[in-house]
Amino acid sequence: MLRRKLTWVALILMIFLLGSFMNIELTVQNTHSSVWIWKLLGRLHPLVVHFPIVLLLFAAIFELLGIKKADSPFRHTIHILLATGAISAIISAFLGYILSKDGEYGADILKIHLWTGFATAGIGAASWLLHWMAFQTKQESFILPYRLTLLLLPISIIITGHYGATLTHGKDYLSSAFDLDKTSDPIKPLSFDVTNAKNDTTKLTTTQEVELNVQVRTILAHNCYKCHGPEKVKGDLRLDHIDLIMKGGEHGPVVVPGNAEESELYKRIILPAGHEDIMPAKGKRLSEQEIKIIAFWINKGAVWPRKGQAENVFRVASIVPRNPELPSAPTSFVNPIDKWTNKYLTEKKIIWPKQADDRTFIRRVYLDIIGLLPTPNEIEAFISDKSPTKRDDLIKKLLDRNDDYATHWLSFWNDLLRNDYTGTGYITGGRYNITNWLYTSIKTNKPYTEFVRQLINPTKESKGFIEGIKWRGEINASQRTEMQAAQNVAQVFLGLNLKCASCHNSFISDWKLKDAYAFANIFADSSLEINRCDKPTGQFTRPAMLWKNLGTIDSAATKKVKLEQLSSIMIKPENGRLYRTLVNRIWKQMLGRGLVEPVDQMDNQPWSQDLLDWLSYDFQKNGSDLKRLIYLIASSKTYQSVSVGMKEPNDIFQQDYTFKGILRKRISAEQFADIAGAIIDPIFSDSIMKYKPTFDAGFIPYGGFYARAAFVANNPLLISMGRPNRENVATSRETQATLLQALELTNGSTFNSMLKRGALKWKLKYIQSELIIQQLYNSALGRAPSQKEKEIAKRMLGEIPNEDSIQDLFWAVMLLPEMQIVY
Amino acid sequence: MSKMSDRRKFLKTTSAATIAALGASLPLAGFFNSPFNKSNINSSADTVILLWMAGGMAHTETFDPKKFTPYSPGLKSNDVLSTFNRVPTVLDDIYFSEGLESIGSIMDKGTLIRSYVSADMGHILHSRHQYHWHTCYRPPQSVSAPHMGSWIAKELGPKNPVIPAFIDIGQRFTLGESEELKAFHTAGFLGNEFGPFMIPDPTAGLDSVRPPVGMNEMRFEKRNQLYKELMDKGVMGEYGSDYHKESMKRSMEQAYMLLKSPEAAAFDLNKEPKESYDIYNTGKFGLGCLMAKRLTQQGARFITVTTEYEPFKNWDTHENGHTRLTDMKKQIDAPIAQLIKDLEKSGHLDRTLIVLATEFSRDMMVEGRPELKVLEQVKQPDIINDIKFYGMHRHFTDGVSMLMFGGGIKKGSVYGKTADERPCKTIENPIVIDQVHQSIYHALGIHPETKYIIEERPFYTTPDGKGKAVMELFQKS
Repeated sequence: MLRRKLTWVALILMIFLLGSFMNIELTVQNTHSSVWIWKLLGRLHPLVVHFPIVLLLFAAIFELLGIKKADSPFRHTIHILLATGAISAIISAFLGYILSKDGEYGADILKIHLWTGFATAGIGAASWLLHWMAFQTKQESFILPYRLTLLLLPISIIITGHYGATLTHGKDYLSSAFDLDKTSDPIKPLSFDVTNAKNDTTKLTTTQEVELNVQVRTILAHNCYKCHGPEKVKGDLRLDHIDLIMKGGEHGPVVVPGNAEESELYKRIILPAGHEDIMPAKGKRLSEQEIKIIAFWINKGAVWPRKGQAENVFRVASIVPRNPELPSAPTSFVNPIDKWTNKYLTEKKIIWPKQADDRTFIRRVYLDIIGLLPTPNEIEAFISDKSPTKRDDLIKKLLDRNDDYATHWLSFWNDLLRNDYTGTGYITGGRYNITNWLYTSIKTNKPYTEFVRQLINPTKESKGFIEGIKWRGEINASQRTEMQAAQNVAQVFLGLNLKCASCHNSFISDWKLKDAYAFANIFADSSLEINRCDKPTGQFTRPAMLWKNLGTIDSAATKKVKLEQLSSIMIKPENGRLYRTLVNRIWKQMLGRGLVEPVDQMDNQPWSQDLLDWLSYDFQKNGSDLKRLIYLIASSKTYQSVSVGMKEPNDIFQQDYTFKGILRKRISAEQFADIAGAIIDPIFSDSIMKYKPTFDAGFIPYGGFYARAAFVANNPLLISMGRPNRENVATSRETQATLLQALELTNGSTFNSMLKRGALKWKLKYIQSELIIQQLYNSALGRAPSQKEKEIAKRMLGEIPNEDSIQDLFWAVMLLPEMQIVY
Repeated sequence: MSKMSDRRKFLKTTSAATIAALGASLPLAGFFNSPFNKSNINSSADTVILLWMAGGMAHTETFDPKKFTPYSPGLKSNDVLSTFNRVPTVLDDIYFSEGLESIGSIMDKGTLIRSYVSADMGHILHSRHQYHWHTCYRPPQSVSAPHMGSWIAKELGPKNPVIPAFIDIGQRFTLGESEELKAFHTAGFLGNEFGPFMIPDPTAGLDSVRPPVGMNEMRFEKRNQLYKELMDKGVMGEYGSDYHKESMKRSMEQAYMLLKSPEAAAFDLNKEPKESYDIYNTGKFGLGCLMAKRLTQQGARFITVTTEYEPFKNWDTHENGHTRLTDMKKQIDAPIAQLIKDLEKSGHLDRTLIVLATEFSRDMMVEGRPELKVLEQVKQPDIINDIKFYGMHRHFTDGVSMLMFGGGIKKGSVYGKTADERPCKTIENPIVIDQVHQSIYHALGIHPETKYIIEERPFYTTPDGKGKAVMELFQKS
């Protein structure tokens, strides 16, 4: 009796589910939006789908086991298997249907999978029904049909499963395992399939069009322009612009939009290598992937961005300054940055990260503002301080430590401005050092406008930046010093990549070769001849600012006057790009990731446009005061929150990055050397300093030595820890640990001999293990050792330690991630 | 399709496209590019040894001798093509300059290239040509170009995980032009991980891979144990996963493994039997070859051994060319021949490509190349009355000799030819740096169009990915 009841329940459930189907169909079509519950249900499909597979297959197996006897001992089992199998199959099909509406999958295979899925569920249900008729109601005529459907089941499951797996893993998932001779293509993969274009009428989205077009233009530029471009027009054909492509060559059109096979261009590139008519006639045959992309592009109608559509093609950020109105926020958020963060987090439904405790905060803010660690006394005093404004007061105090502040930020600017004591170029007088100007500018907190002006229209002391690096001999036209200046000024101050455009019209932006030369001409005594890919073109252009509406450059003026004009244009309040770029760099320095990433591509989307715009506007309006900006950031709850880790280093560059709090950072090479030097023993002696600043009267250096790492020439220890060679502008440092770094720390002489010297000092000073452990933990990690840590260290040191064991304890603690991460 | 699916697709493409168009100003290009660079070429070598004749080795005084004019006061400079007699090699009709008999005797195992043409870059600067030779790019570049060894390290990784993939033996950075040398002894944008492991002095090579001086095995072990325990018990564990932390842990483990491994003994030349050591011991370069042999046998990927560049020293002969070359040849002849023989004997030669090269050649008269002479840096009198003027002292870029052995290279073969009369320039099968790089990559099975997107632009192993391997150098497979 119970069994019959269950059966009825199941049947009713089926009808109910069918009804729901209709319902969903309506929901989806009416609203065009997905309710999260449907999404969730849909995503359960890959999970649920395994139940019917197993259940139904086992039903078939049990049937086989008892096939000889009409009264199989498994009859009951089979019945249950079929019942649950059929129901779960129907549920799976239902969930699968919802998932298909989610639209993540390609159309053709999806359709097959969907229908075979329904079929499987149907056959399963039929099988169950027939089984019930045959054995429950004892009608023998149903046995054969039942067994036939049961036979069909595994077949249909395999087919359905195959297509389902193809959807998930891709077509080549299995075949690629034995396809050893597969040619791989160095071309970047598109985010969509380029194989089935011909009869596919789906329209590409704008983004896809752009992506495709960039690829096509790159292929054409690198393989065809040489003979079919502005320089050389073989066969009357030029391929560097869509109008010219469409015009065709001496034998007529070469592209038939929508039909690759009819297009001469396509016909010629697919010829076998060595064929008389193959294109490119010189150079290598296009790769299969490149050919596929060309075919796809033609079949899709040979799309090409039109003038005026430019904004749609490459994202271009507005350079106009913007002052968005501060959003309303709970009164606990005083700092404007926090009001923006609060708005952002609220919109994203993200809970505010907790605020970091005092111990964490003081360590972080010391490292970020002056590059040093607080002493144990400073930490304890800060923690016990009861003042409600103590955090703000501390930030101000650190910013007032002018020499420490300047020393720390010197490295940041040295990277950006490619300034170093040693490097290529100096040997033949082809490079100039600007350290004294730079240090003084940072220390006196020169307004950023003035800072930029003096770098672009330099004095003798600051000319090193735009003078670039000159090697002896002949160099590529795109690397002449005037072009270096154009590239570096654009990159550093404007977050703009002119490097492509200084050789040929850029494929990645709308900047043209002519724009780059116009900009470079500002840095030149006389107009430069335009070189395309290092070949002179005989053409010239007038000097001009990149955004011409910001102001004009007098083309007849001397270099000095042109630089004066450019520097005034650059620092205009209207040039919002200058301020956004700077604010973004400082933000990255302190919070671990820029509002825009990469920081040199300021046309990219910031995670909060409002925050970037407001902060840049505020910075410019208030005297372009860098210390004020740093104060504003450091005093925000946004900065003072608990830090977040990153799983993969490239996650930082994801364009759909969501801000969830300040990121953990690795300390820099200079910070590492300075900290170790101060706590244990100076690594570098004052005698090897390459630059000795005039310190403020009464300045007492941390650790008692002056030779902080920013003042010495680059060396194997610092290189291994990530200080770049400054042959090129470097705007981000490599922070991942490497084997070469670990080897340098493990047995490099600079570091280990310092530890040895320090061990002797400490042995005489502290004598007992207990004290040494206590002191080391407090000064290096800013906390007392735990009981467990004390035990471990003590086991190593014994009661009265020797020098070797002290040295080894130093080593172990200095290499702890806790020591080397700004958390 | 419903709008919903369009929107999803749009979002998906946007992020993919932006990442594709990305390419930061980071040195970490690798993170933006999944390895599409895998190749279908069947490799013929796993290891490369580059024997670097730093400072410009004159072809007419080494592997491509011309008419010998013995020294006598009053000699006309323009009459002198070679200052050494020629000696036969194991190959018919092929002669080397006197002093290279040992290498001559093993030429049946490799290919002699007599037609390398180095770049024309105007007023000569050695380090600039060396930069060009090693990176295939002319400095300056707008991004930091990787050394050939770094490309190989990046694409193939270490052959034996405990031996650094790129080892550089013999060059110090404390001499002249060292900043220019540093500029190409780098992995550039590929990232420090793939940079050179420098062993400036092969006799002290072991110091680089053993516990710090004065630390015994037991103490080293204890120190490492302490580090691990303090890390495990420290608070950082509470902070969850973070790539900084993970990479620090991983790299420290790797370093420990290397220092502990039995293979580290390969760096210890004292472990070499005395007879063998003595053959190699012609100086720093010879011992560098010995270390290269030992490392190759333990599974190194890319090793370069240099005669060391120091302005006006070694092959950089601005005077006394004849006298000094006698000595240079002594330094290289026996160790190189022995290296080839030893690797053959141990069965490594088949899969090890050995390349001998130099940035350019030298000539007594021509600075640069015959049709494109550049600013002369050496005064050469028309009539030689002092032996110090007897030698090849000017920088000649139009005909340079190279050697290749093993790793699928033809045996007993000669490629290219230079003129027998001044200017002794390449007249047959010229080969340029792009082809040299691509031939080496071809042997290793690295795709010729291997590239990374850096600062939004593709950067190939050889400029624009256009270089082609010289297939005639390889045995038919």
